Amino acid sequence: MSEVTQFEPKIIAYVCNWCTYLGADLAGTTRLEYPANVRIVRLPCTGRIDFNLLIKAFEVGADAVLVSGCHPGDCHYTTGNYHARRRWMLFRDLLDTLGFDLRRIHFTWISAAEGRKWQEQITRITEETRKLGPYRELYQKNGFRLPAPSPPPPKPPEPAKPTMAAQEQQLRETCTRLLTDGTVQVVIGYGAGVPVFIRRAEDVGKLVWNAGCQANLTTYLKRREVKRLGKAAVVVKGCDERGLVILEKESQMDRAALRVLGMACDGMGQPKCDDCNVRQPRFADEIIGKAAAPPPEAPHAAALDDLMLKSPAERMSFWAQEFERCVKCYACRQVCPLCYCERCIVDKNLPVAIDTSATSNGNFAWHITRAFHLAGRCVGCGECTRACPAGIPLKLLNLTLAHAAEKHFGYQAGMDPKAEPLIGSYALTDKEDFIR
Amino acid sequence: MSEVLSKAGLRVLVKEWVAQGKTIAGPVQTKAGLVLYGRLDSADDVVLEGFVRPVNSAKEFVFPRREVLCRYQAKGSKVELTNGEVDVAPQILLAVRPCDAAALPILDHVFNWDFRDEAYNRRRAATTVVSLACTAHDESCFCTSVGLGPQAERGSDAMLLDLGDEYELRCLTDKGRALFAGRTQTSERTATPSLGPEPRFSPERIKRFVDEQFASPYWQEATLACLGCGACAYTCPTCHCFDIVDEGNTSHGERARNWDSCQFSQFTLHASGHNPRPDQGSRQRQRVLHKFSIYPEKFGEILCTGCGNCTRNCPEGQGMLTLLAGIDHV
Repeated sequence: MSEVTQFEPKIIAYVCNWCTYLGADLAGTTRLEYPANVRIVRLPCTGRIDFNLLIKAFEVGADAVLVSGCHPGDCHYTTGNYHARRRWMLFRDLLDTLGFDLRRIHFTWISAAEGRKWQEQITRITEETRKLGPYRELYQKNGFRLPAPSPPPPKPPEPAKPTMAAQEQQLRETCTRLLTDGTVQVVIGYGAGVPVFIRRAEDVGKLVWNAGCQANLTTYLKRREVKRLGKAAVVVKGCDERGLVILEKESQMDRAALRVLGMACDGMGQPKCDDCNVRQPRFADEIIGKAAAPPPEAPHAAALDDLMLKSPAERMSFWAQEFERCVKCYACRQVCPLCYCERCIVDKNLPVAIDTSATSNGNFAWHITRAFHLAGRCVGCGECTRACPAGIPLKLLNLTLAHAAEKHFGYQAGMDPKAEPLIGSYALTDKEDFIR
Repeated sequence: MSEVLSKAGLRVLVKEWVAQGKTIAGPVQTKAGLVLYGRLDSADDVVLEGFVRPVNSAKEFVFPRREVLCRYQAKGSKVELTNGEVDVAPQILLAVRPCDAAALPILDHVFNWDFRDEAYNRRRAATTVVSLACTAHDESCFCTSVGLGPQAERGSDAMLLDLGDEYELRCLTDKGRALFAGRTQTSERTATPSLGPEPRFSPERIKRFVDEQFASPYWQEATLACLGCGACAYTCPTCHCFDIVDEGNTSHGERARNWDSCQFSQFTLHASGHNPRPDQGSRQRQRVLHKFSIYPEKFGEILCTGCGNCTRNCPEGQGMLTLLAGIDHV
């Protein structure tokens, strides 16, 4: 008996039913030989291939994954592959930040007539993967840690600035008017330490405006308990307001039925404000105050830059250590104004898409999904990071996607109310330099 | 007369425990501004000063966030079942806060009530608790409102009290005495009693309110800010609800027990689609009811040690304390 010495990689290919599957079929009927390392999973369309499937493939031991579909212009459903192209472009950047080995992730266009291309691509991918060896780095810690940032001095809430006191006064007066003349039934605003829901003009004194007003209150617009209270006014900062643009675009709220009270803000002096570039509300019905300092030109993301200087294995080690602390309390999800699904994918169990256990599989799958469901949508309010009791810098994942959206598509979520949602639209000119 | 142990002596002792292969958990500076209870790789990792309390709770070490109950493996036409973690190494919970230590005897009730929970008891029996009395508190602490305090000895096998350059050591059980035998000196110095936070509410009044005012609009009113995450329950030393999941495929897999929280909307969702606790008000009411009425009626004590983590870790600053203190003003 001969010893088995050659590593045989496992490759999962998610292929579309109409082109690549038939291409593979053609390769078979024309007796073209190619390595038997590939397991084909046939799906209706590349536009229908959920990114969770890719993660799942690696979880169960794939050494490489291929996604393949119709050439541009050939989609059976007209545009499915254009949507896929855009989505995978963003998704690759997210996986890169997380430290996935992108050499193991392949994308091809193979038509029903291209049996030979299927043969060539599978041969190439198998050989390349064989050289890379088994994918052992997945979710592994290799001892690498990002050097601890110099400890931020604990910041007690700064005393309210004089301008803030004037804004607070004006806010209270505005709310008195809105509640008295019946424009709104409830004002969602900041109270002392906890958000308040003011329904009577005599309670407006409970509204505050100070350096502790960090929360993004637009998240309450999704809460059934709050919707029941009637027509609402919501207090927003410039950063929070961007989320309203997205919510309106996604038909999640009736903008005409909402009164937006925009507070000019010079930053709350907290880490979450470091990357903020909108300090003056733009679309609010009432704008209170004027931001003194212009926002920083380019969003500051030193932590992300530092991380990207590391090797993929080191990045994965970093995230493995961060996610290890995750207890799956879902504070990141609940606090996000744009996580509004009635039933989150992680709560679905027929079938289980994401393990609910706080294991490396469950944690990576969850945080990848959370971040990617916000691709082209996250407005960078940083609430996920602020809410996390385990101190996981979730914002870095969102920031990755925000950078990718800007780099590839010149898109900034929630800045231009006229812009089409990034995911859900496509352009014939979208780049495809990662597709073969 | 008291027993004392120098601070350097404690470090030496911890080094010895590590060398003996004992598992030790205690407060660790996980990253800047974040102290969590975690496993100590070396005696230098433990942080003993400069923070009020870790962000998580020490329950993790007797009731982990995920416990494998059994594993299955298909062998031909048969299925082979094996137990989860059978051997649990002796572990020392070092420098846990009195509010974490006090939670353990409270949890013992529910894991030994109608069913003796093997997984829990195995870890509990292997655990020695060395608490460190508090010298500081913050605005979220409320141990004194639930009958405990900064030097409460409940649940500890031994307690350390800071005397500046050394600790007063109170060995409270045989386990505690065994751990420190021959390592302490006698001294005249004893720690001064510390008062802790001012009481914020009366548990009796809370119980009366939840029993009599089930339908009060207060529950809806006071919980509007709650977003329904599990940050409070998952950092609570006494919350103990769990969910059982099967993870694996047709050939092999695991059955595991994971933390769950009554604050999730799915917690009580029926297969029919009906949800008996349809809103956050009823979920928060359940939490208070369980802690201040149901548990005391069944086991004779409050399911809360006043650590304040629910309030400290609430993203919106809501937490139990706001809710409970508010009851006094209804």
